[in-house]
Amino acid sequence: MKKNHLGTIKNIQEINKNVYSIEFSSPTLEKISAGEYVSILCDGLTLRRPFSVANFENNTTTVLFKKRGSGTEYISNLKIGDKIEFSAPLGNTFKIENKKTLLIGAGIGVAPLFYLEKKLEEIGAETFFAAGFLSESDSIKHEFDFVSTDDGSNGNKGSICDYLEQIIKEFKPEKIVSCAPHPVLKFVAQTAQKHKIPCEVAMEKVMACGIGVCRGCVISIKKDGKIQNATVCKDGPVFNGAEVVW
Amino acid sequence: MVDLSLKIKDFELKNPIITASGTYGYNNEFDTFCEVNKLGAVVTKGITLEPRLGNEGERIFETYGGMINRIGLENVGIHTFLEEKLPVLKKCDINFILNIAGNTVDDYIRLAQIAQENDIKAIELNVSCPNVKCGCIEFGVNKQALYELVSVVRKNYENCLIVKLSPNVTSAEDIATSVQSAGADAVSAINTVRGMGVKLDFINGGFKKTTVSGGLSGKAIKPVALSFIDRISKVIDIPIIAIGGICTLADVLEFFSVGAKAVQIGTANFTHPDIAEKLINDLEKFMLENNFSTIKELQKKLMEA
Ligand SMILES: Cc1cc2nc3c(=O)[nH]c(=O)nc-3n(C[C@H](O)[C@H](O)[C@H](O)COP(=O)(O)OP(=O)(O)OC[C@H]3O[C@@H](n4cnc5c(N)ncnc54)[C@H](O)[C@@H]3O)c2cc1C
Ligand SMILES: Cc1cc2nc3c(=O)[nH]c(=O)nc-3n(C[C@H](O)[C@H](O)[C@H](O)COP(=O)(O)O)c2cc1C
Ligand code: FES
Repeated sequence: MKKNHLGTIKNIQEINKNVYSIEFSSPTLEKISAGEYVSILCDGLTLRRPFSVANFENNTTTVLFKKRGSGTEYISNLKIGDKIEFSAPLGNTFKIENKKTLLIGAGIGVAPLFYLEKKLEEIGAETFFAAGFLSESDSIKHEFDFVSTDDGSNGNKGSICDYLEQIIKEFKPEKIVSCAPHPVLKFVAQTAQKHKIPCEVAMEKVMACGIGVCRGCVISIKKDGKIQNATVCKDGPVFNGAEVVW
Repeated sequence: MVDLSLKIKDFELKNPIITASGTYGYNNEFDTFCEVNKLGAVVTKGITLEPRLGNEGERIFETYGGMINRIGLENVGIHTFLEEKLPVLKKCDINFILNIAGNTVDDYIRLAQIAQENDIKAIELNVSCPNVKCGCIEFGVNKQALYELVSVVRKNYENCLIVKLSPNVTSAEDIATSVQSAGADAVSAINTVRGMGVKLDFINGGFKKTTVSGGLSGKAIKPVALSFIDRISKVIDIPIIAIGGICTLADVLEFFSVGAKAVQIGTANFTHPDIAEKLINDLEKFMLENNFSTIKELQKKLMEA
């Protein structure tokens, strides 16, 4: 199956200030799993922009994204009916396991966890979804089990990291999955390791090829006692939190 | 029917569309986007004697019309290449050029010998990587050192020897002439142009500065490449393979018009991963519609323009 697709925008909405939800369908993309991502061609730009899949059904992909620079600016200006060229599916997947799973998302990092939560619910796995945002206006709406905001304007006050120990103690997860800015991921992975709970983290890195050939997006991981390079685009974006060299 | 094929020394290519080193992997990694064995050739990622982990820190920075990279030649090393990557090239029937890089003359000699022992049909000498501290870049900018390097590699390698030139030199003509007199079968140009990206964030009343210094590639460098090839084609007779920002059929024809016999596609593979195959189809269609039966004929017409 070829991985370059031409899609059509079915829906685009600004759900918060500078945060958009976009749905596009393509007859050639039939399946994409939680954790995998799409890479979107943006007019006038050299590099495609990677985005996690927040939902997928009936050949239609949903992506949630935050406007940051020219690529996301371009995508935010697309209209229903416009064409969109993208590569997919790229990257590896979250493991879908019937385990008590704690999902920890911060900011736009909640996006891939939406799709994972849905897949876990489909197999009957118990989940607890904790999300952290800067403020009420920055919060993405969803039925979370726990919310914190830095300024306390929505849910509990403080960083999601401040509540991690308490959540682990109460929910007793068998597994933790997180997607968040680097410092949060690091904290979650290290906390999970301390409690000897398996942990998957979804990493980010600026990408060029998206298929592991250019070596532009490598991180260091420790595997079999050896430090080695791994590409976020192909070996990841999902990594075992205990293997990442933070 | 049109005939897109060409020959560089004894190295046969089905067509003049080649994918550039470092942008296409080692073998068939692009097979979910392109029919890789339809390409004229694939140039492998730069291979060194020992595996390399490459540079620390950010390696990519997008710029207007292109990108800067400072990968630092991360590669699996020649032995793993022979064991794991070469069999796939053979099995998939992919025509390829082995790109090699070294820190010393001895590294290049050893790599050339290994290529010869394994009957690899074409090698491209990377003497122009701006991303490694010592070694290959120094050869690329000094015509005497380059002459000596190419001469000794020539003695150790009989098949098609291509030397990849750096644009970061004072005289393109001098460099190209010494490569030709040292016995190279072809030159390819250009490698990336030295460049730097700066990103400033204004946080809490202060500036946070991030810089990425490395090699600039993509559309932005096409005029640099055109000028480089135009100049060297006037002083050397061996075939020139053009590289630098090539994205469209029009780009390919422009490079033919200044003397290139084949082209390599680099950064454009990232923007459009199916571009290489598309360019072959576009070229074939153009020739068919305009009654050119061979590439030679098309290139001759373009050179006369
Ligand atoms: C696997 C993966 C999944 C992602 N999923 C999502 C998602 O679901 N929703 C979302 O909003 N964003 C996601 N991102 C981040 C998204 O790719 C970047 O925000 C986007 O590429 C920025 O493009 P731009 O042109 O708007 O900004 P630019 O002008 O390119 O950059 C603006 C800022 O974003 C940073 N940036 C640029 N590209 C990336 C990148 N690939 N990864 C991380 N930071 C980057 C730059 O360093 C800069 O600080 C994901 C990134 C990866 C690697
Ligand atoms: C990510 C990246 C990695 C590269 N790695 C190599 C390499 O290993 N060896 C080499 O000779 N050139 C390397 N190059 C240079 C390209 O082969 C090519 O000469 C250059 O990018 C200009 O062509 P373009 O504008 O079409 O990309 C690399 C370029 C990029 C963008
Ligand atoms: S983006 Fe090229 S290796 Fe990851």
